[in-house]
Amino acid sequence: MTKLLDVKNLNVDFRTPLGRVHALRDINFSITKGKIVGIVGESGSGKSTIIWTITQLLAKNAIVKSGVANFNGMDLLKADNDTIRGIRGEKISMVFQDPMTSQSPVLTYAQQMNDIMYRKNELSSQEKREKAIAMMRRVGIPDPESRIDQYPHQFSGGMRQRAGIAMSMLVEPSLLIADEPTTALDVTMEAQIIHLIRELQKETDTTIMVVSHNLGLIAELCDEVIIMYAGEILETGKIEEIYSNPSHPYTQALLACDPARESKKTRTLSVIPGDIPDSHIKPKGCVFASRCELAVQHCRTEKPENYRISRSNHLAKCHLLDPKKPLPKPQSNFKKIPKTKISSERFSHKDKEKLLKVNNIRVQFPIMTKLKAKLKGINDPYVDAVFNASLSLERGETLGLVGESGSGKTTLGRAILGLVRTKSGSAEYNGRDLCQLNSREFKPLRRNMAMMFQDPVGSLSPRQTVRSLMVEPFKIHGIEKNYDEEAKRLCETVRLPENFLSRYPHELSGGQARRVGVARALALNPEFIIADEPTAGLDVSVQGEILNLMNDLQDEHGIAYLVISHNLPVVRHISDKLAIMYLGRLIETGDSANIFEKPAHPYTEALVNGIPQPDPKKRRKLLSIEGEIPSLTSRPLGCEFHPRCKYVQKKCKFDPPSIKTLSDGREVLCHFPLQT
Amino acid sequence: MKAYKKKIILSLPDVILPEKLVLFLRNPMGVLGFTLVLLIVISAVFAPLFATHNPFTMDIANRLAGPSFDNFLGTDQLGRDTYTRVLYGGRVALQVAAIGVSVSLIVGLTLGMIAGYGPLWLDNMLLLLFDAIRSFPTIVLALAAVALLGPSLSLVMTIVIITSIPGYARLARTSTLSIKNTEFILAEQSLGASMKRVLAIHIMPNVIGPLLILAAMDVPVVVTIEAGLSFLGLGVQPPTASWGTILNEGYLIIRTTPWIVIAGGIPLILTTLGFTFLGESLRDVFDPRLRKGK
Repeated sequence: MTKLLDVKNLNVDFRTPLGRVHALRDINFSITKGKIVGIVGESGSGKSTIIWTITQLLAKNAIVKSGVANFNGMDLLKADNDTIRGIRGEKISMVFQDPMTSQSPVLTYAQQMNDIMYRKNELSSQEKREKAIAMMRRVGIPDPESRIDQYPHQFSGGMRQRAGIAMSMLVEPSLLIADEPTTALDVTMEAQIIHLIRELQKETDTTIMVVSHNLGLIAELCDEVIIMYAGEILETGKIEEIYSNPSHPYTQALLACDPARESKKTRTLSVIPGDIPDSHIKPKGCVFASRCELAVQHCRTEKPENYRISRSNHLAKCHLLDPKKPLPKPQSNFKKIPKTKISSERFSHKDKEKLLKVNNIRVQFPIMTKLKAKLKGINDPYVDAVFNASLSLERGETLGLVGESGSGKTTLGRAILGLVRTKSGSAEYNGRDLCQLNSREFKPLRRNMAMMFQDPVGSLSPRQTVRSLMVEPFKIHGIEKNYDEEAKRLCETVRLPENFLSRYPHELSGGQARRVGVARALALNPEFIIADEPTAGLDVSVQGEILNLMNDLQDEHGIAYLVISHNLPVVRHISDKLAIMYLGRLIETGDSANIFEKPAHPYTEALVNGIPQPDPKKRRKLLSIEGEIPSLTSRPLGCEFHPRCKYVQKKCKFDPPSIKTLSDGREVLCHFPLQT
Repeated sequence: MKAYKKKIILSLPDVILPEKLVLFLRNPMGVLGFTLVLLIVISAVFAPLFATHNPFTMDIANRLAGPSFDNFLGTDQLGRDTYTRVLYGGRVALQVAAIGVSVSLIVGLTLGMIAGYGPLWLDNMLLLLFDAIRSFPTIVLALAAVALLGPSLSLVMTIVIITSIPGYARLARTSTLSIKNTEFILAEQSLGASMKRVLAIHIMPNVIGPLLILAAMDVPVVVTIEAGLSFLGLGVQPPTASWGTILNEGYLIIRTTPWIVIAGGIPLILTTLGFTFLGESLRDVFDPRLRKGK
């Protein structure tokens, strides 16, 4: 049990025009050889700063005030430029979050991998190439001999991340740092990458440091965990101990917030109230005190020490664990907030009426200009982003639209709202077909429908104050009202403090900006809202707040939601009905609980099984799904899912399946559904 | 909005200046440029207050005098006070610059945003128009126009405006294109906002920043065009004072009395430097891509 990396008393500041930011304070941790260690924290917790500090890649305005990072008996923080460069290339290598931007677009993989091995003078270039090919094969890239001469843009997202892992493993590093390795990938791809990293670790016995905000990923992958919050380490220990016996209130709260831990539809999720503290000010007491429900006066004034929880190295930094002062033992108080109304009584079935009926909508995008197509002799220069999708939505109901990226779910949502032109099909709303309306005819109907966009901050006009953003819907539709009062009312509805009205979008956190987005959507009391990834870009502790808010508003106003998401645990919580999309087609629609319990389409089954569980005891042994979503330009023959399907049969390869209705009313696009 | 501003003013002792202002104030070139610009603008606006003489009063007895307490920068060949004439010349220069730059900025911004946001055919047509105008060299176009229509200040301004519109329009068009497909514009469309509203309220504030910087750096160009044409006798006509005419008058007698050329040249140099420094430091502050150290 030798320590590979031992970080002691690390303090890092950033100089900014607004004063110093204390990004890391008193960081102490060590990494044992041959283990996978996870650093978990929300955005702004300083987890990435740790990586940049030990690799000396910090921005120029950073100051390392104190600290030692002992790596194989050498202090990384004191190493000179040449030494650290040698270490970065040979001993420590990295896998980055976004394979799209972290690989050189102008060099082939063969060239990039050859460059990585430039210090290995003993190898001839032929040997280097062979080594690179072997590594590419090892990470699961088919036909590596020819693909190694391709450029990153010729690889798909998942393949690129595999290549990224191959490149980082090429030098046989003693420490591999993976910075959010699966965040940019889909659920099915994430499972494959987790699997790959674990296998490689077993084979090579490399030590791996994984940085992530995703508790499921950490549980699946790591042996030890470090929990960070606002620049400090709050708890460290073995993964099983932390997940089964979380000792710091923050860890407990964080685990309680993860929707994947609940397997039932609860409609309310746990949250951590408040915001991460301003790191310009050094906190006197415990950093988490301002948001901790168990905090006592003592917590706010005195710094807690690390207390040992068990005989192993499970440490937590909390006053409540002080054995000398018998304070009440922290227990998970982050139970669900009791609901005022019971779900089944909410907006009951009595006025169940169809609000929106989507029939065979088809959306095409051109892949080349008409002239070019004519010159090339192609009659149909289009791809189908959405292919004959049909849905129906009732008043006060939530429909979850789920699929991997590129499945056309966002396009379908936009097509319903008339933001994308449809090729054929209809979207009936109150007896009018939305697809046939021009923008002038559509405008009065827009009062009844709204859309929430993916990026909470990016979907707000950056030079407008929150107040003018909130009252804009009234202005657009020419509704004369007391705008100040309306803004205040909306603030109250979305639980946003009124003094935020004068702020600009960039001054808001993700959660606050999302609230403004909800307020804008709600301004005109719409009947239905299309929410595109309502929790994307939000921290776990905040996403619960937004979902609870959306849910409460549904109870009050009877709004119908169409929630577009790739995040199955979230969708499971809020949806009444589900629609699963694959390559622009809806492959399974029906009651949400039924689908989660007994998936009928093999793809749905793979998705449901692919959810990483935040429980190290429930690690998956087998991969639920292989391969990647095919390109829209080359749809497979027969059933479009057959190349990835576990249960594929001969018929699937040639005959396109038709929709079958199951006994419980579900509709499945499969020759051989798993349920009847 | 009001409450936010008030808070800052009330807590002045420990006021937190906006980050951009701090960055700007830390840039010595920017502060120098800003001071110069301020100086020139004040001297031009309040020229009658600072002037010691009437710019048109001749004093033949005292002609071509050197600097003295009575005439700070001496007198010209007709005995007019050069200092006063330089002040009044600044009025002409800045008038041309202000009107020329602001009109071309507004027209260019509008056309550029329409080209970027509107349909493709309109974009292509406007681009063709911009490129056609840009293909004429400014000075040569001005010379030709003056030769045809006779010299006048308004003609100079018209030429300046027409030739600088495409620059602004192209910049506005590119910025509009880059934010046209962002989520917040889509969000506005989903609310049913009209094209006019999207352009004026949501695109314009995001596009105008770089354009204002370009405008600040364009001022010296316009000032030199005006001075150049006036120097050639094609712009401002005597006896109106302009830096160009002052230079022209001094140029004839440069061997005997260099004062006049120096007096006419220095404000030109200071204006150019001032606006260029100001524009460059504004660009450094507002365009993070060019900022160092991050």
